[in-house]
Amino acid sequence: MAKLPHDDIYQLVREPIDVAALARQVRAPEDGAIVTFDGFVRNQSHHRPTLYLDYEAYESMALAKMREIGAQLHEKYRIHRVSVVHRLGRLEIGETSVFIAVSAPHRAAAFDACRFAIDSLKRTVPIWKREYFEDGAVWADGELPPAPAATPRAKPAS
Amino acid sequence: MLKPVPLAPSSSAGYNSPVPRVSQTIRVKVLFFGRLKDVAGRAEDFIEFADAATIEQLFALYAARHPELAKYRPSVVASCNEEFAAWDTPLRSGDEVAFLPPVSGG
Repeated sequence: MAKLPHDDIYQLVREPIDVAALARQVRAPEDGAIVTFDGFVRNQSHHRPTLYLDYEAYESMALAKMREIGAQLHEKYRIHRVSVVHRLGRLEIGETSVFIAVSAPHRAAAFDACRFAIDSLKRTVPIWKREYFEDGAVWADGELPPAPAATPRAKPAS
Repeated sequence: MLKPVPLAPSSSAGYNSPVPRVSQTIRVKVLFFGRLKDVAGRAEDFIEFADAATIEQLFALYAARHPELAKYRPSVVASCNEEFAAWDTPLRSGDEVAFLPPVSGG
């Protein structure tokens, strides 16, 4: 996989995400723009009041996929630093579940990269949320990641 | 139907057993996530096969044990060693296969 800049951040965390600190982290004198995406817990789902959410992940693969997205961002856009952090475990209404920050010399690349990052994350990173309601819990509807149709084995068993 | 060999093959099969020891045993780790974990009743399993098998056959084996799993098959994506994998991927010893329902992060 492509090498990522050492000052990029890709993390799964179980504590509240410090969005201000992450935005500062990607900021550098040679940049002119930072675009951030702050995804947080909504108080309802399909008009049903949500109590809280519980996120789980295939952690090792999720991190690998987050880093893969980062590598794609650096390849596709003229950006500087990337930060992608997703929280796991129980999250209350209004708490940040995912935060993405991208810095760039110019705004267009930062906007495009940030959008690409969250859209890719929602489609390809193995994370699941369970929604808790007054009368029970359900696994949220999700997106089916694109999978190869036929074999070629790239990676040997490790 | 694919038959897994017991996890800890007994050495007490008998010194006079006419069946030679299988040398090509494939041992894989299997992970279930989200609702698949609920249906399979487990998050993790280890399984051994005496013969070649694919990810599809591995899923079928669990679907035979937990019939409800079969109905999720169209909405499951498999991974092998942390990469999305085709259903016809042949298993190799040491593989970590995961069955992933539609993802809902973010």
